[in-house]
Amino acid sequence: MAAQKEGGASGSRANRIAATGRAAATPPARTAKQYREAAASRHRAKPDSDPNPLRQGLRLERVPDPGAFVLFGATGDLAHRKVIPAIYQLWRTNLLPAEFSLVAVARRPYTNESFAAEIRTSLEKYSRVQPIDEASWSELAKRIVYQQLDFGDDAGFDRLCQKLDELDTTCGTNGNRLFYLATQPSQVTEIVRQIGRVGLDHETRGGGWRRVVIEKPFGRDFESARHLNHEVSKVLRESQVYRIDHYLGKETVRNLLVFRFGNGIFEPVWNRSFIDHVQITVAESLGVESRGAFYEETGASRDILQNHLLQLMTLVAMEPPTSFHADALRDEKVQVLRAISTPNLESVRSNVIRGQYGSGWVEGEPTAGYRQEPEVDPESETETYVAGFFSIDDWRWSGVPFYLRAGKRLPKRATEIAIQFKDVPLRLFRESSGDPAPNVLAMRIQPDEGIMLRFAAKVPGLGLDVRTVNMDFAYDTSFVVDSPDAYETLILDALLGDASLFTRADEVEAAWSVVTPIIDAWADMPAPDFPNYASGSWGPEAADELLERDGRRWRRI
Amino acid sequence: MGPLPVAHSVAEIEGQLGTLWAHAAVARADAAKAEAVLMAAQAEAAARAAAALAAARDTSDIGGHHVAARTSVLNLVVVAGDEPAARHCAETIAATAGHHPSRSLILSEVDERGPAGLEARVEALSLSLAPDDGRPETGAETISVTAHGETGRHLASIIVPLLVHDLPVALWWPSDPPFGSHRSERLLPLADLLIVDGSSWSGDGLDRLAQLAALAGERRMVVADWALLRQARWREALASVYDPPDLRPHLGAVRRIQVEYSAAEPGDSSGQTNVVRPLSHVAWLASRLGMTVVEPIQRNDDGSRTATLRQADHAVEVVLSPGQSKLGAGSTIRVEITSQLRGAVVVGSVAAGDRTVEVSIQHNGRERVRRSFAAPRLTEVELLGRAIEGSSPDPVAVDALAMGLALLRSPSGGVR
Repeated sequence: MAAQKEGGASGSRANRIAATGRAAATPPARTAKQYREAAASRHRAKPDSDPNPLRQGLRLERVPDPGAFVLFGATGDLAHRKVIPAIYQLWRTNLLPAEFSLVAVARRPYTNESFAAEIRTSLEKYSRVQPIDEASWSELAKRIVYQQLDFGDDAGFDRLCQKLDELDTTCGTNGNRLFYLATQPSQVTEIVRQIGRVGLDHETRGGGWRRVVIEKPFGRDFESARHLNHEVSKVLRESQVYRIDHYLGKETVRNLLVFRFGNGIFEPVWNRSFIDHVQITVAESLGVESRGAFYEETGASRDILQNHLLQLMTLVAMEPPTSFHADALRDEKVQVLRAISTPNLESVRSNVIRGQYGSGWVEGEPTAGYRQEPEVDPESETETYVAGFFSIDDWRWSGVPFYLRAGKRLPKRATEIAIQFKDVPLRLFRESSGDPAPNVLAMRIQPDEGIMLRFAAKVPGLGLDVRTVNMDFAYDTSFVVDSPDAYETLILDALLGDASLFTRADEVEAAWSVVTPIIDAWADMPAPDFPNYASGSWGPEAADELLERDGRRWRRI
Repeated sequence: MGPLPVAHSVAEIEGQLGTLWAHAAVARADAAKAEAVLMAAQAEAAARAAAALAAARDTSDIGGHHVAARTSVLNLVVVAGDEPAARHCAETIAATAGHHPSRSLILSEVDERGPAGLEARVEALSLSLAPDDGRPETGAETISVTAHGETGRHLASIIVPLLVHDLPVALWWPSDPPFGSHRSERLLPLADLLIVDGSSWSGDGLDRLAQLAALAGERRMVVADWALLRQARWREALASVYDPPDLRPHLGAVRRIQVEYSAAEPGDSSGQTNVVRPLSHVAWLASRLGMTVVEPIQRNDDGSRTATLRQADHAVEVVLSPGQSKLGAGSTIRVEITSQLRGAVVVGSVAAGDRTVEVSIQHNGRERVRRSFAAPRLTEVELLGRAIEGSSPDPVAVDALAMGLALLRSPSGGVR
């Protein structure tokens, strides 16, 4: 049997997923009102049109306006682990204005002081910079206000409204409010409705922007996402909504855009004429940890494929935007999602693989299988691994397979995008002992962020041996500056009114229109014999076969 | 492989560089073989294979590490002066090399009147990104050259053949650069980037600052002055004073800029405290706020220095006042900006410690904001790193340097 190579297959199978079911999943055309709103959002005035000349050349040429950061779900895990440490870090490095207030909203009873004390404890555990800087913390603590509130309580929201008005006077927050919904997804609609009911969504001309940050998941299928968007749009204009997926705030994801559109040499070869296929991997060595109940409801397709994997795919495949403004970027991403062939039952059966981990060994430690994890059904059919073959039906990518995979309890934590270029048309070095492998451009997103280019080189000596070598660029060898945490980046962007790295309603729906047919098809067919891969392996054998039938194989990461 | 012998010519240096990296390549091949063993091994044999890999690594000779790539992103030429300074620079470069692997040429001189000659030592720096995790490392090289006698006056002839072609050249002159001398005329044209530390210059440093500013203007040379780089945290803090929209208009109504600095002696009576940093604050502010010089800087009997600027239709008083503090001589103690607009007087004040910066804003005599934030003083390693990263002209620095020159010009047009 001929040795398998990573490249070499024709692109003729790229359109294996039949384009059926598109009409049902395609979002409805926008109404005239929605178009007007979109145009208005593109042309809306900058929040602060008078730049500070002393900021030229500094880290930020514009800083957030005075404002209140209203954190719903302030006592929850996400708030304590991610959101509040990010705010503290922005505060301690002087990236938030002095006229700032953190209004923590949750059901449990706290005073301002007792909540600040609890935050302080969390920061000692979760802040990426230790020890906690006392002077900075004491200043921030003064700006923390706790508001006990049941999200269904009308009177409670009236009190919140009053409190925010008071802060405009006492703290100089100037009518600007960012509402951050770090809550259960099921509570989003109610909170947004209440915000609308008390008029907290109303922006005013003399200052007073209102923005709402919504955490993923944005729905659990196409219909629920569309419903959620519809409910949100009853209260808020799309330009006020910031759907956060922390993955998009990662430095290397952002750099992907710079890499593609800031370097002239790659774009000419970034198409079906030169690229054989693309592999995108999001591998985790962890299991579901304490999130068994959550994971039972989501699985890898909802947790990773619908957002992280498809987001990375859009960034790789999108056309150059006309500018780096939020809507220009997001328009191009949506175009990619809409060009992905929509799966049907048959294409899901042959092109999408699901897996569930059994027991095994990871990083030298024995690990339990998924069905033995806490809060997991012992006969669960939830997938912890998904791999799929997708194609993009447009002029740039037609015939180029995109292989996507994500899984838990894989041998290592690694996220990578690999662009495999086509093989050379003629092998000139026949006497060489080994064929050089095709060129690969790999972008590592985590860990060890960097970019690698694989190419052939002659082995020094009298013969003409050709070997494959790697040219490796690692971020931490070129930049002294620490990368910020993704939440710091995204919260700062939301405060600055930059929505480039947030997901738009149509983008969410377009992504669900790719994934929902897969989930629906799985519901209609018997599950594989789970568990079908051992913890510490690279997933089920069927995932390897998915590429092997095309004469390719997954990259060894 | 033991330490390489001392080289006495450029040809010997080049020969040693070849020997050094050929040896690293052998070590690399050994390590690669062992890695192949590791990959082929079954799980139960992994520990044994890992031990084989470790053993193979032990046979490599750049610090016992597995060197995967020889890397350079620039040529870094250091005119260190004497040998102790050269050692200090070498330590700083070694700490920076992980981020900025470079071919470093560190030049020092001894025995100016003795016989001509050179002694050179070639070293490889093994750059571990994450020590002991088994990941491949990159390597860079340092060439330390001590020039004797007449050779010291012809450093360019040593430097040029040892530069890695096609890479930018940064010239780091850590002591007093002799601008205008035969030596600087030979060395400066080699450089794409000049790295200096204006705050370490002898005397008050202002003559040399004027020379540097004139040179940068005439030759359009990219200059990274640590004195200015150190002020990044001050600039952030001063900018933050005017971030509130209602205070922004005050930037067009500045009446007074006062910089208090730490004097080497009470009242800076001899005038020998280096005041490059205090002056740089003023130059940056004036250049950003559209000011012009009416009266250049002059020293007064009480040890202070004053100047008069103009912003739009009003004068701006500038005062550099010596003070006493535990900070090193020439360090800034406080920067204070006073503005007056429609009857409102705003005083923005910034002071800095080792790890924090404190900002306060007084509005008509009442404290509006007092805030401290984390902004540690930059180390020499960080300063060198930032200087290297800033290899393209920074318009803010260019403007500040030009304003510095304007502040130092005498009324007759000459420089001080």
